[in-house]
Amino acid sequence: MTLLANSALKDDINLENEKVTLVVPPLPAYVSVVRLSMAAVANRCGFTVEEIEDIKIAVAEAVTNAIVHCCECTPEGVTIQSNFNAEQNELTISISDQGPGFEATSVKLPDFEFAEEGGLGLFIIRSLMDEVELRTKPGQGTQVVMKKKLGDKGCQ
Amino acid sequence: MKTVKEISWNEDKALIELVGEIDIYNAPQIRKVLLELLQKTEQDIVINLAQLRYIDSTGLGLLVGALKRVRERNGKIVLQYPQAPVRKLLDITGLDQVFVVEEDK
Repeated sequence: MTLLANSALKDDINLENEKVTLVVPPLPAYVSVVRLSMAAVANRCGFTVEEIEDIKIAVAEAVTNAIVHCCECTPEGVTIQSNFNAEQNELTISISDQGPGFEATSVKLPDFEFAEEGGLGLFIIRSLMDEVELRTKPGQGTQVVMKKKLGDKGCQ
Repeated sequence: MKTVKEISWNEDKALIELVGEIDIYNAPQIRKVLLELLQKTEQDIVINLAQLRYIDSTGLGLLVGALKRVRERNGKIVLQYPQAPVRKLLDITGLDQVFVVEEDK
């Protein structure tokens, strides 16, 4: 009986191979669907309320970018994949689209003194996540890979 | 749920209250309401954020767009009572230095 309970518990916190894949149409209404789904994934991994909020915002920003730049995308839409690495206590989320892609070096910091309205998304993602990688080239779609380490308080 | 809860005026300010969540889905409607308000009044704009739980870059972008127009007539936008998640985004983007931010009492 005890053994069963232990193994059930062990199974419950073994997230090493728990991958989640979500594919959504490139429509604004789906940003909140992704946001809430990834918040639930982060919650399951044991992140704090504040960390979950960071992950939620970062993922939503990447999906928003994909939708904005992917209005004539193929029907595959936007793919969101999450993977929790239990050994490194790290959640990796990637957001991919088949949009037009762009030169990654052309990304600039927004300058609010001149009240520019755009260009904030990637800046916010980089501020909230521990690691962010942007994989894109003109004509080859865009993939944003972001990682967040679990703090000491998580995964008890 | 409506994101723009209320618009009112007092002697020198137009007050607008945003509630719930702002993202790419409802940002166009809020942008429209703000632009209409800016056309109606020459007053400074006070935006109450006490009940706004979530804002993304699209939402921040529309606030910056409104500020741009208000600055053209030497006015200002006051962001009132931002709660923790919204406050954090204002801080990391540096927008807390661009808008007048009024803290919760």
